Amino acid sequence: MVVLLAIVPIDISGYWLRLITFIFMWIGLAGSINLITGYTGYLDFGHVAFFGIGAYVTGIVMLKLGIPFFPAMFIGAVISGIMAVVVGIPTMRLKGAYFAIAMLVFAEGMKQVALVLEGITGGGNGLSLPIYTNYTFFYYCMFGAVLLTVGTTYWFERSKFGFALMAIREGELAAEVSGVNTFYCKLVAFGISAFVAGIIGGIYAYWMTFLYPGDAFNVLTTVHMIVMAFFGGAGTLLGPIIGASLLAIIEELLWAEFRYTYLIIVGFIVVIVVLYIPRGIVGLVREKVLAK
Amino acid sequence: MFAQVLLDGVLMGGIYASFAVGFSLIFGVLRIINIVHGEFIMIGAFITYWLYKICGIDPFLTIPAAFILLFVFGFLLQRYVINRIIEAPEIMSLLLTFGLSLIIANIALLAWKGDYRLVNPEYAGANFNFATFTIPYVRLATFIFALVAVAGLQLFLQRTDIGRAIRATSQSKDGARLQGVSPAPIYAITFGLGAAVTGVAGSLLSMSFSVFPAMGGDYLLFSFFIVVVGGMGHIPGGLAGGFILGILQSLITNYVSAGLTYVVMFCILYFVLIFRPAGIFGKGIVE
Repeated sequence: MVVLLAIVPIDISGYWLRLITFIFMWIGLAGSINLITGYTGYLDFGHVAFFGIGAYVTGIVMLKLGIPFFPAMFIGAVISGIMAVVVGIPTMRLKGAYFAIAMLVFAEGMKQVALVLEGITGGGNGLSLPIYTNYTFFYYCMFGAVLLTVGTTYWFERSKFGFALMAIREGELAAEVSGVNTFYCKLVAFGISAFVAGIIGGIYAYWMTFLYPGDAFNVLTTVHMIVMAFFGGAGTLLGPIIGASLLAIIEELLWAEFRYTYLIIVGFIVVIVVLYIPRGIVGLVREKVLAK
Repeated sequence: MFAQVLLDGVLMGGIYASFAVGFSLIFGVLRIINIVHGEFIMIGAFITYWLYKICGIDPFLTIPAAFILLFVFGFLLQRYVINRIIEAPEIMSLLLTFGLSLIIANIALLAWKGDYRLVNPEYAGANFNFATFTIPYVRLATFIFALVAVAGLQLFLQRTDIGRAIRATSQSKDGARLQGVSPAPIYAITFGLGAAVTGVAGSLLSMSFSVFPAMGGDYLLFSFFIVVVGGMGHIPGGLAGGFILGILQSLITNYVSAGLTYVVMFCILYFVLIFRPAGIFGKGIVE
């Protein structure tokens, strides 16, 4: 599969290349929120902030300091990760409900910062990056981001650190008394998750060549990440991949003409997942297999 | 000038308090952060708008309709949907109410389009002068109605049997059960009551601000801010939180920039959550 996807761009048309690159982006973003929300149970309603910070920092560093794309992207992602830790310090001490909405306020605040700091971000006029139109390049970049996300998730699934996170999700107090430094683990997971979102934001910035605060910090991006992760199965390796692919295809079919209907369907997907398949598609399939 | 800015803030703060107390009440009793909250405000505002536009009813007379319709809506929503996951981890209730909020807001968008609408009876622009202040009649009246709604809710919780049962359930679900209070109907009534008061707030808001399907998002965040600052689940704290946000917004808009509201709100939240997680009075619920 990986090899197939790696040689695919050699002969496909622009539309398909773009669509698959977008699906990769969503798999990466859904995987990124899965690292914090799926493994620790802390729902992040402001995750788009880290995507936006990554995108803007990449753009600003490339334009103002003349640094090439890859190091710029890395700087953006590191700053995203650091911001997550700083923001996480007060919000992750309390239970998840506070964290969820405080993050939403944070993302809206970052959007306002991007709008107000006109001298640096271009404000409401947007920020134009150096134009680079080799779309196969961005296909491989996003593909790399997917591999990074999947690799990190695989590490979470197998490592002692990942087990500590899952212990927090299943019962924070129990994890604490079993000797897990829950606060530290949550912060590290949040930082990693924001780093990944920042990488994807950086690639997005260079790919789109134009950044606007309303797009880079769009609350709908967070909505998509959450729904994709839970639809597929939060806290699993394959869940975000399946959820993101399915929802991205549904969106591609419906968004242009039936925008509100599409969002109503997304809302129903969330309700149905919560009420009937809380472990997502992956959990459902697993149950069916185990039942046999 | 400064005093006028403060007064504007206080008048706003009353309405802010009235839509935050419902949020606080629902959290205090059901222990869920209700993301549909913003949509309750939107529905309340639209009830006033349509009754005014189609039937020509004075906006203030539509308040009981907003109260009753939202009580029924909230009651049924809790009873048949939210109650199914009431024992599940909190992330489930966050997700569920988030899904419901997406559905409601986008059905409203589909039905009513995204236009900004105004409720503007003849007296909408009228104001009077008191000392050096200029006070719009509508702002003053909505302020009084908002305080009456908050006081009414507080009285109901303190003085009636159902109110006592609600408070008992909030303090200890099992303790209440031992005293013969069954939690399920109390949850539904509380949710309905929270929705109803929030609907009244939406109705009041529609007389000063534009009405549109996506209006709920901002008010959800305002409610959260007010309730964290005032103390989660603590109703008098919500009143104080409302005034704080009202005055703060008035100051930011006049002296800094309207575009920085959320930045300032987040900075305050940041420090409140570090130093006073139970709210500035220390009487909120911390979990």
